[in-house]
Amino acid sequence: MQGFDPALFEQLEFLLIAGIVLVLAYLALEHKEIVYAAFFFGFMASFVAGFFLLLEAPFIAGMQIAVYTGGISTLIIFASLLLPRAQDSTLETFATPRARQISLVVAVVVTVMTGFLAVIFPWAESFSEAFVSISQDLNGLAHWLWFENGIYVQMIALIMITALVGAITLLRMDKAEQLSSITGVFGVEAEPKTTEEATINDDEHAADDSTGVDE
Amino acid sequence: MVPLSWYLVLAFMLIGLGGYGMMVKRNLIRILIGAEIMGNGVMIALVAIALYSPVFSFTGQGLIILVISVAAAHTALAMVLMLMYNRRYGSVDLGKPVEMEGQ
Repeated sequence: MQGFDPALFEQLEFLLIAGIVLVLAYLALEHKEIVYAAFFFGFMASFVAGFFLLLEAPFIAGMQIAVYTGGISTLIIFASLLLPRAQDSTLETFATPRARQISLVVAVVVTVMTGFLAVIFPWAESFSEAFVSISQDLNGLAHWLWFENGIYVQMIALIMITALVGAITLLRMDKAEQLSSITGVFGVEAEPKTTEEATINDDEHAADDSTGVDE
Repeated sequence: MVPLSWYLVLAFMLIGLGGYGMMVKRNLIRILIGAEIMGNGVMIALVAIALYSPVFSFTGQGLIILVISVAAAHTALAMVLMLMYNRRYGSVDLGKPVEMEGQ
């Protein structure tokens, strides 16, 4: 097509995706139904992957869709379905409108100030555009990750396993704590002792005590 | 090519939006969504800086892989903590412990 400017097309694409991402992020935070909010979050994560494609990072885009859209948003949807009072609309805001206004002002100030700093920072001098390298080389990325920095990848895996094992342990401890009132020490349901058993046990304890004193 | 500042402005807008959600909401699930939106903003900023820098091309991508992995793990952990909170207080309301103290 004559007169077609790819740079302009890329900028239009950016603006379109940015608008969709911002609207979806707002809906994820403000939609009344939390299940729909989780869906909007998943869609938002998919569109963020579009930015990674624009930024020549297809591997990261795939990972973003797999982890965020496929994993985290599904986890949030299941959590909102599992927790009975998660969809209570009274939980959406703080009791006083003043707290909401203060939060809004703080968020706007932080966004404007950081955005302003990002714009005035001399990026052009810091990173010369002549050196922009297109990092679509997946073999290069794999080599860099596994051969040059393999130990760090393994450390990440270890951190993730530790976090997940910790999460499961926490849940089991909490469950065991709740069940301890109705079950015995070993998870077997406690039964009331008969009088004979109690007497035998008392005698055994007394014998143990006396041997302990002799020794 | 899209200027780097555009990506950064968008990233900081997402961070601000997520921060607003975390500050205003009382629902723990909504707060988690806010945190994830902030994380997405940070990732956009990191990948953009990685692309525009001659040095950080792979380093930036490696860092993002780390961030995504840790985000998945911390979400799972947050879910477990949320379930424990719900068992203890019977709700996912962040203000519930304060209300119960007042009673």
